[in-house]
Amino acid sequence: MKLSARERFIMILKYAALLLFTVLCLYPLFWLLLSSFKTNTELYENPWGLPESFSLGNYIQAVNEGHILQYFFNSVIIAVAAVLVSVLLSSMVSYAIARMEWKLSGFMLQVFLLGMMIPVYAMIVPLFSMFNKMGLLNTHLAVIIPHIAIAFPMAIFIMNGFMGSLPREMEEAAVVDGCNIYQIFFRIIMPISKSSIVTVAVVTFINIWNDLLLPQIFLTDSAKMTLPVGLTEFQGQYATNYVVEIAAVIITIIPSIIVYIWLHRHIMEGMVAGAVKG
Amino acid sequence: MHNVMGNKKSIAVFVLPAFIIYAVFALVPIAYNVYVSFLQTDLMSPSKFVGFKNYINLFRDKTFTGALKNNILMVIGSLIAHLPLALFFGNILFQKIKGSHFFQTVFFLPSVICGVAVGLTWTFVYNSQFGLVNKFFEIIGMGGLQKTWLADKDLALFCIIVVVMWQFVGYHMVIQIAAMKNIPSSYYEAAEIDGASKWVQFKSITFPLIKPILKVDAVLIITGSLKYYDLVAVMTGGGPNHATELMSTYMFYQGFRTLKYGYSAAIGVILLVLCMCSVGLSNLVFRTETIEF
Repeated sequence: MKLSARERFIMILKYAALLLFTVLCLYPLFWLLLSSFKTNTELYENPWGLPESFSLGNYIQAVNEGHILQYFFNSVIIAVAAVLVSVLLSSMVSYAIARMEWKLSGFMLQVFLLGMMIPVYAMIVPLFSMFNKMGLLNTHLAVIIPHIAIAFPMAIFIMNGFMGSLPREMEEAAVVDGCNIYQIFFRIIMPISKSSIVTVAVVTFINIWNDLLLPQIFLTDSAKMTLPVGLTEFQGQYATNYVVEIAAVIITIIPSIIVYIWLHRHIMEGMVAGAVKG
Repeated sequence: MHNVMGNKKSIAVFVLPAFIIYAVFALVPIAYNVYVSFLQTDLMSPSKFVGFKNYINLFRDKTFTGALKNNILMVIGSLIAHLPLALFFGNILFQKIKGSHFFQTVFFLPSVICGVAVGLTWTFVYNSQFGLVNKFFEIIGMGGLQKTWLADKDLALFCIIVVVMWQFVGYHMVIQIAAMKNIPSSYYEAAEIDGASKWVQFKSITFPLIKPILKVDAVLIITGSLKYYDLVAVMTGGGPNHATELMSTYMFYQGFRTLKYGYSAAIGVILLVLCMCSVGLSNLVFRTETIEF
């Protein structure tokens, strides 16, 4: 199909707008990456250009003096533990709600979905008081447990929708063959629900990885902090040493970007699906 | 089949672990939070029941009303920034244009990056000495427009709204594209045959049919704007002189810096009520306008 001159002009305008916004999205990140290799003097004198050399000095300083690896490790522990538990438990509930035969299943679904509209601010003061009494403050558990509870509504919304749409024949055949419910769930349902489980796991992981509020409130010991809190500490300690702070920001962003490039379909789908319901 | 699927014991095994965690660490705290909001307490020494005094004090507290006003500005700013821009790009990318998937992926990217990192990135961009914004004005010869952006109490909130927009336009765009994909392509084919231009197609097919989702999206933006915390906490810490304080940052400040937990819990209750109101509103809107294709 040949485009008329007018249509071609409109097409060019559209691409110009798209490219402009692409640059706006990516340039700040790219600028940050370039700046992370500069010295502070270079940053002030030559903010636009390339660094004189791509030395890793800032990164080494961020890791050695800023304890970035320690924060990184803490973030991984918290996120992985919370994701594993919440995905396992929420997939079990979703299956029970979608397939098992009990009177309260519809009500239970509503109770869980209600959680989607609840802001975390409406529960942190009591949680703080509870963890204080249980002696859990300043332990990773104090961050992991609320994150598990907060993750349930979105996870159950997505997985219940998926499991409800599966054909029943396989389970019927499995029952005839003498499988019990646990074999059906772990050997059949879990494997065929893989795509929705991955979606839920990735979106939950990103939410926890990015969270600032809970670790900021429930952890006090800087050796236990997660990356986002660690970054804010940087702000205070290295108030003038910007390039090291920039290197630390890059270290925080890189894993998210890699996971995003790798699983962006799941992430976009999951974040949009979870949000529209809420 | 029923023996397996209706077994009470296995149902309990599947449901109870999650439900107990959810009840103890989400439902109970919400109820308890309402109770705490009627107390004057530091959670250590004996607390005193003060009725609605925390709420009355809140509305007399200039910083809180300022934070409420900022939240409302944030809601309005985000609505104006997000909906038209997201719709504009969404509509372009929805029309099978080359590279559509690439652009969607790129525009969505900022919304998966940690809020703290985004906030810090933009504090560098706004930095008065080496930041891109001031350097840009210098290059185009309008050095007079250089400002200390985040330290200026009249500009700081506006600067933060720009960042919110940068971070979430792509996210709302993808939501809207998902809605557009549900419109049967036969509508567009018919319009094409009738010779309707792309603009007419947008005006009379796309826009009316995704209106319900736009309303849901608007509620999403409203509740989202009520919940922002990271960006403000990192970029200005609520300053300068509480000029960018939001309800969330003020709640953190009152609860975990000055240890007025009852007061802090009352702010939590207000946020909960506001969120539930806007979601309730969306359900009302959503129910009345379901479109069958």
